[in-house]
Amino acid sequence: MRRLPFLLAFVAVAGPAAAQRSPHDSVQGAVRAVDVRGRTIEVTTSVGMALRVVRLSVPADTRITSAGAPLAFTQLKPGDIVRVSFGSRPGGTVAYAIERVGRMEVAPGGGQ
Amino acid sequence: MIRRAAVALAALALVACRKLPAPGEPLAGLTPAERARFDSGRVVFDSIFTPEKGLGPLFNSTSCAECHEDPKPGGTGDEVERHATAFHPDATGRACDELASLGGPVFENQVTPALKAALGIASEPVPPQATAIAHRTTPIIFGFGLLDAVPDSVILSYADPDDRDHDGVSGRAGRNFDGRLGRFGRKALVPTLLEFTEGALNAEQGVTSPAVPDEPTVGGQALPPNTDPASDPELSQRQVEVLDAFVRFLAPPAPAKMSSDARRGRELFAQVGCNRCHIPALPTGDNPVRALAHREVPAFTDLLLHDMGPDLADICLGLATPSEFRTEPLMGLRLRKRFLHDGRASTPEQAIDQHGGEAAAARMRFIGLSATERAALLAYLQTL
Repeated sequence: MRRLPFLLAFVAVAGPAAAQRSPHDSVQGAVRAVDVRGRTIEVTTSVGMALRVVRLSVPADTRITSAGAPLAFTQLKPGDIVRVSFGSRPGGTVAYAIERVGRMEVAPGGGQ
Repeated sequence: MIRRAAVALAALALVACRKLPAPGEPLAGLTPAERARFDSGRVVFDSIFTPEKGLGPLFNSTSCAECHEDPKPGGTGDEVERHATAFHPDATGRACDELASLGGPVFENQVTPALKAALGIASEPVPPQATAIAHRTTPIIFGFGLLDAVPDSVILSYADPDDRDHDGVSGRAGRNFDGRLGRFGRKALVPTLLEFTEGALNAEQGVTSPAVPDEPTVGGQALPPNTDPASDPELSQRQVEVLDAFVRFLAPPAPAKMSSDARRGRELFAQVGCNRCHIPALPTGDNPVRALAHREVPAFTDLLLHDMGPDLADICLGLATPSEFRTEPLMGLRLRKRFLHDGRASTPEQAIDQHGGEAAAARMRFIGLSATERAALLAYLQTL
């Protein structure tokens, strides 16, 4: 697993200003999967055609918001575009704050 | 008076004699420093990577120039690569799974000897979860720096996702996973030219960089030990910057001189409605590079996604459904030998014949032209 370096680099591409303000690293991408029971989310990110999936655990005290308002973990859905600040702990990568900033749009005819 | 006229004539002659950039040459008007970066980047573009220098372990080509070779570095090539994703239109949430957790969507055609010895594979296997495999030819990247400099607002001004003007053409913007507007790639996933280049280094050559410092995986599994001898990142930030400069400063091919037939063909191009998606010129906006700022790009694209019908459909990617493709830029069309995203057409006429979906009406109008008119339109395309 060598995903963290990719994330650290992605910060430089996607959010240098946010990274400078925050003591943590951050990433912005589309939610691929939400495991409510296991309290994890998977986020798809990319640099060009190099795609990666980042798995983050989401402890109960992780702040989740949308447009400034609190959001329950169960309200996160695949296709949500999220900005996540995170850090590494012995158990893996942990989300400190998740902000829902948009949705991957739905195509005409219900394609996506 | 006579002197003034002579000076004016001399100036006109100078303009007439000024050589337009040939394929592979840089944009006119670069500063000496920019030209030096272009030249340095050409060296990186031409560099042949070995496993010791960062190639692979998964790769499609050993250098940028191996694929982008014809007629000059930055052009096209005969390589065809594999992309695969899974499309589940009835799924809640996102219907497209790019198989990124399984090594997708680019499944490399080659592996280094060390990886072959370790895993016994000759190419990256496409996982069974894939619902479609797409083939992709090498795009000509001449003029891509100018496409990068087109403001988002210009692209969005052409979008008509609900076809409110009822012309049957309803382009919509591609988006990256982080929400930014996408413009590069056949499915308009990639927002910027720099990311297009950095991603290609990793996905096409297995070369890591500061932006993408980890290797692609095989089926989502970490690479076996001792299969990747070069330390990461395998390309320095400075090398990436000059490579980006080379790609960014490649000039679009100058249009060929038009015959009277081609001039008639230009009118027919508009009359048939090709220009509704293949917008002939897009303006660039402010740019720190003067040669890229406030120019007209002979793009022949709106950089939007359009439904091209079921016959051309292959994979989903990002927001694009299997049948949606970004309008292909026609800059340098005369330099190509294969046409459409997967190279299935060997002539522009065959490519037009296979346009469906939103382009079906334009195709029917093309078919309805007389033989002379069709020849004129094709003569025009050969000047691009």
